[in-house]
Amino acid sequence: MLNTIHLYIRSMGMLLKSHLQYPASFFMQTLAQLVMEGGEMLAVILVIDRFENLKQWSGANLFFFFGLMSVSFYITEFFGRGITGNFPSMVRNGQLDTLLLRPRNVLTQVLCSGVDPRRISCIAVGVTAMIMGSNMSDVSWSFLKVLALIESVLMSCMLILGLFMIEGIFCIHSVKSVELVNALTYGGRSACQYPIDIYPRPLKILFSVVAPFAMTMHVPAAYILGKPLYGWPTWTVFVTPLSGIAVLFVMSMLFNKGIRFYRSTGS
Amino acid sequence: MRAYFSVFRMRLKMELQYRGAMIGGIICQMFFGIVLVALYHALYESKGQALPIEQVSTYVWLQQAFFRMMVATDPDLNDKIKNGSISYDLCRPVNLYWFYYIRIAAQKLMGSLMRGIPMMIVAFLLPKGWGMSLPASIPGLCSGLVALFLGLLCMCALENITMAFTMRTLDPRGMQSLLGLLMVTLSGNLLPLTLFPDSWQKVITMLPYAQLLDASIRLYSGEYPVSDLPVVLLRQAGWAIVLILLGIWMWESNRKKMIIQGG
Repeated sequence: MLNTIHLYIRSMGMLLKSHLQYPASFFMQTLAQLVMEGGEMLAVILVIDRFENLKQWSGANLFFFFGLMSVSFYITEFFGRGITGNFPSMVRNGQLDTLLLRPRNVLTQVLCSGVDPRRISCIAVGVTAMIMGSNMSDVSWSFLKVLALIESVLMSCMLILGLFMIEGIFCIHSVKSVELVNALTYGGRSACQYPIDIYPRPLKILFSVVAPFAMTMHVPAAYILGKPLYGWPTWTVFVTPLSGIAVLFVMSMLFNKGIRFYRSTGS
Repeated sequence: MRAYFSVFRMRLKMELQYRGAMIGGIICQMFFGIVLVALYHALYESKGQALPIEQVSTYVWLQQAFFRMMVATDPDLNDKIKNGSISYDLCRPVNLYWFYYIRIAAQKLMGSLMRGIPMMIVAFLLPKGWGMSLPASIPGLCSGLVALFLGLLCMCALENITMAFTMRTLDPRGMQSLLGLLMVTLSGNLLPLTLFPDSWQKVITMLPYAQLLDASIRLYSGEYPVSDLPVVLLRQAGWAIVLILLGIWMWESNRKKMIIQGG
């Protein structure tokens, strides 16, 4: 386990260095990402400008939710690029074969194969939105709240990584990447940058049970903002986010099972 | 002329091949539509607006139905620029700009019809306020269709301008994602243009991006009365001509100093 982490950090370092070999291109792309995420935030700002409140949530609260989603989602894309971006093409062009020959777990190697430092600007936008949101909603930070926030971000990253793995699992079987899974990952991002309790029941169930964004993000965030979700007691804030690691665990089991059925596309 | 016509037909047929991807795409797009409509319902419950919610839902569904028309790009051309086989295209006895213009037009048209029609049927069946409403009037529907056609002309022209940038920078990522963002924001996909602040709308509806789908949707839902039709169509046609001329100029100057990658 320790060895794996060491390996991961080493490859991240190397990949980062290789990305920074082209500083101009890196800078341009990071800027493009910044503008893109800025556009998303602009949409939220315009919504708040027109509607002011969203049921019990004030505009400031909405910034916090938006920021939390951006930070978690883009940290995952930053460090989990191997799963979120590269994997389908690795299956299609047979690159995965080389990984199977090496004496390490395939999943570890896939994770070590990619990093996407351009996302740093998206993360920055997310952090800004979160600070704005917490200042404007007058959050009084305490040790417990900081802990809840850290746990929430960590577990959300695990959840998102787990959801992206579903695409990988499908990919092993059907070679083509499956657009449908985007409904859970990118759809989840769009839907859950707003608090869950505004949605009708089917969507609530989907994002609380199947893809539990509500559990990893909205329960802690609502606690931090001082408006506990559904009036749940405080201990739930620290228990429900654990569903993120549960999803990741189940998905990695399935992934390791699925990889046994992998047939190379050859060439 | 015949060459362009057969390219068009071939691309139509080719796009029809991807029916599996189509079903996945439809479900995904439907899902996004439902999430957005649910969000706007919740927002409307908090603070009602002058604009009826039915119109917002219709706007969202039409945007989702024709999403493919907006984002479809020609992957072959991207690859060709990257690996240098664009040199073969330079040898063809056709005008390169129109060759690719026709290709992308066929791809966008077929791709969006295949996805859009089933999606609109489902959207009509959803309960009132959640689904799509009928057009404001028959002339409104007809003028919306004409506007959609002009919008398609603008979209293909914009796509070729993006490609012209790619030819220069040789890397599709930076510029394409920037222009893509402008597209989804200013065309009303991220947030209906009808919900932008009213003072902004005056400017935004004049920009080329509003001509793609927004103009057509507003004619459909009666936001633009039929009496405005000449002005709207003139604006669209004007932008189409400007964008096509700009694109031709860019492609022409690129052709003279094209960098062929390879080795």
